[in-house]
Amino acid sequence: MKQQTKLSEEQQSRQVGTEQQTQQSAARDFTNAEEMLRYDAAHTTVPPGIAQRLQKSTGDLPGPKTAWWKRLFGGTQP
Amino acid sequence: MEESPADLAASEFSCLYAENSRAIYYLALRFLGDPQKAEDATHDVFLKAFRKLDQFRGEASLRTWLYRIAINHCQNLRQGWHDRHVFSNADDAVWENTAARTDSPLRVLEIKELGQRIQKTLDGLPDEYRLLLLLVADEELSYEQVGALVGQSPDAVRGKLHRARKTFAALFEKTA
Repeated sequence: MKQQTKLSEEQQSRQVGTEQQTQQSAARDFTNAEEMLRYDAAHTTVPPGIAQRLQKSTGDLPGPKTAWWKRLFGGTQP
Repeated sequence: MEESPADLAASEFSCLYAENSRAIYYLALRFLGDPQKAEDATHDVFLKAFRKLDQFRGEASLRTWLYRIAINHCQNLRQGWHDRHVFSNADDAVWENTAARTDSPLRVLEIKELGQRIQKTLDGLPDEYRLLLLLVADEELSYEQVGALVGQSPDAVRGKLHRARKTFAALFEKTA
């Protein structure tokens, strides 16, 4: 049993090592700041809690008097 | 069954959120430098947008309109603690004169270090440069739209962008 656990630990350790290697070898060059920021933004996760809080906050409010899409599309489509 | 106007507004608002939440959250995150504050700010920005949707005149894109709300909100938040975080313009000159290899690629070895180094670098930039870079990084915005958001002409945006890039690169190298 212990051996199994050790084996499993070794496997995990190897796996982590491989992941670290993969991460370390993922060196990236960016030609300018915006390119780097774009990449960073694409890898940024929006916390799901915001949508949940918004749902709660907007649920207590009356909707806009005029649907904003009517202003945009002249009421031809939702 | 037909949707009520309120349901319709809610579903359209969901689309608005889905399409723009990453951009607004990212701006708030990197402008404020604090994930919790960025989360609160993003919530407040979209709530404000929801309340004012009927005032949206369609003169700007929705993304630009949301950015305007977000910039005002974040700048108000930063007002109180500005001095603690930002280098003065005098320091800016020091960074610009730094003998950094600003024409060489900006290199990071590990993806996870990127966010921390970017934040550290942005924290050292003057507000004007930080905002400019964050807005220009959004490919959906033209120089004209960025200019309108920061109150500058497109030419001025281009000129300042050059200086902002240079300062960013010099600072970024120092975060290694």
